[in-house]
Amino acid sequence: MTSILQPTADGLMLGGVFALSAIGFSLIYGVLHVVNLTHGVTILLGAYLSFSLAEEFGLDPIVAIPIVMAILFVVGYAYQRFLIQRVHGGRSVFPTLLLTFAVALIVKNLLIVHYSSSAKVITPRYAFDSLSLGPVHVDVVRLAALAISLVLLLALTIVLKRTSFGRIMRATAQEEIGARLCGVNVRHVYALTFAISAAFAAAAGTVLGIALPFSPEQEGIWTCYAFIVVVLGGVGSPAGALVGGCLLGLITTFSAAYIGAPFSNALMFLMLVVMLVARPNGIFGDAFKGSR
Amino acid sequence: MTTTRRAVVNGISAAALAAPAALSSRSARAQASSIVIAGSVPLTGGQAGTGRFFNNGYKLAVDRINQMGGVDVGGKKYTFDLKLFDDASDPARARTLIQRQVDDGVRLFLGSYGSNIVLPTVAVVERAGGVMVQAGGGADAIYTQGYKSVFNINPRASLQFISIAKYFGSLTPKIKTLTVITANNSFSKAYSEGAIAACKAAGIDLLEHHQLPEQVTDSSSVLTAIRGNQPDLLLVNVNEQNSMLIARQMIASGTNAKLLEYFALGPQLSDYRKALGRYANGMTCGINWDQNNSFQDKYFGPASNFLDAHRKAFGDDFSWEAAIAATCIIVYAEALTRAGSLDPLALRETLREISIPETLYGAVKFTKDGDGDPNVMGTKVFQVQNGEIAVLIPEDKVKAKINYPIVPWRERS
Repeated sequence: MTSILQPTADGLMLGGVFALSAIGFSLIYGVLHVVNLTHGVTILLGAYLSFSLAEEFGLDPIVAIPIVMAILFVVGYAYQRFLIQRVHGGRSVFPTLLLTFAVALIVKNLLIVHYSSSAKVITPRYAFDSLSLGPVHVDVVRLAALAISLVLLLALTIVLKRTSFGRIMRATAQEEIGARLCGVNVRHVYALTFAISAAFAAAAGTVLGIALPFSPEQEGIWTCYAFIVVVLGGVGSPAGALVGGCLLGLITTFSAAYIGAPFSNALMFLMLVVMLVARPNGIFGDAFKGSR
Repeated sequence: MTTTRRAVVNGISAAALAAPAALSSRSARAQASSIVIAGSVPLTGGQAGTGRFFNNGYKLAVDRINQMGGVDVGGKKYTFDLKLFDDASDPARARTLIQRQVDDGVRLFLGSYGSNIVLPTVAVVERAGGVMVQAGGGADAIYTQGYKSVFNINPRASLQFISIAKYFGSLTPKIKTLTVITANNSFSKAYSEGAIAACKAAGIDLLEHHQLPEQVTDSSSVLTAIRGNQPDLLLVNVNEQNSMLIARQMIASGTNAKLLEYFALGPQLSDYRKALGRYANGMTCGINWDQNNSFQDKYFGPASNFLDAHRKAFGDDFSWEAAIAATCIIVYAEALTRAGSLDPLALRETLREISIPETLYGAVKFTKDGDGDPNVMGTKVFQVQNGEIAVLIPEDKVKAKINYPIVPWRERS
């Protein structure tokens, strides 16, 4: 029984990190139809900010989450208004693709200059603690990562479903011209979408930083994970991100346990291909216009 | 004598034509007194964490040798002209960079860091009739394809664990079983296979061999298996980042080896030891150079001087790879002097036969395949004690004693 329960627990906890890291990517694609290649480096910015707060001020990373979310909320808003907005809106996706690719490279290299390319990890007091639930071992940091992810995804679901801003965002995503005709400031909504996505990426970075070592070079792999999660779960919905993230986590741990760890990436991409062929909109994939 | 306007114009024109030729001639003379050594290093990308120390070591040694007047080759003094480029940890990019240098006429090369990067660049250098002295490519594949141009300051991967296995085999209580965790890349696989063979020869039998992908996000399943079948010795053979992840998950899940843990990479970095805090104490790791060793050479003097020079030039962050990179330059200097020629083929022959009794790094001697002679240049082992590196072998030359058997993670202080 342990052979089933342990990889399930490990997969779900890893899935929480994947889900939170993907939701921002999913929102931006769902609302703006922009493939944001700066997403991975935004996650790492969150991780490094939390790392600096922990190193310089001894701030617990969980306490630091609202601070790094607020900082990257502002950065995300400005990034969309002053850079993305200038190239967004045409028929081609390439201008935003190239712009975000270039910004990701610049930020990655700035991170290397400032923090060096060595791997870092955030080490709170409970970094080495674990719980034993019968035969199943659970790392406290990974459990905390899952809990934070669930809380934040639930909060985002409430914002999207229950608030007027959420309705405006969904309306803009579904029918931009209609939203404009109703008096919605679409540019502001787009910028706020980027801001919210950057804030959630920052939270994901903090969660990532307490659960896994990180380095600037990983920005590409975290964008890639976000892409896989969105393909699995579907665009634009926190539930889709959560299901996609957990699925990715479970694929990783079960393939490691039963087939061999070197094959987990191969299985991950095999699942990606299967989903793209069988259900290209993902499991929950009809929320926003990006998946239509 | 009158000077006509036509004569003045002709004179200026002649001077204008002659000037570039004169400058070119001066430039040629300047180039003739320097020896270009080129190479790529990973300053960005996955290998950059360690790659920058190779960059530092190469630069430090070239600067020092040039400040001391250069090297004597056939009775003439030459300085080194170092041309290093960032290969971004990308084998294809490294290959292109080296090919471009070959096209520019360069024939003497230094190596990058990482066997997957070094291997394709060796092929380019071999075809061009050049030479590469390096320390970042240890995979056996580099030394088993008949290349005549590559020389490694380290033994090949499969032979690096021999000295460590002999030491582990001599410990009391006796280590009887071994479990290995290996990353899925050519160096790690060769290293682990060599380690398993060396341990078997030392009377340590393999219990389990687990493989992980290059990018690890979770090692729980492997650790669960290890808890169920606890080995005397656990050998974790992955890169620094994955090593940190595995160590943290081992601590959190209470996964212990019965007697000793060996991490091939990670504990040599101060950031790594700092991140693990007291839990790092007791970990053992391979090391090829230590500032407290008794070696010295004519360029840096005692080994500790090299560390001081590195700190002065690049700050406090240091790893022993800088010293081994500097040794590549020192070996070039020694070989060029002994060869008395800039001909790369003559230099190859000299390197193949060379035996340098003492450098910053210790004695240097190559096997016929070009890797370091394991009997002369075997890897040492250190243990983290009070957060610092304590070198354990050769036992007659070091002061530190191993804390053995190690206590479980929770009891470490």
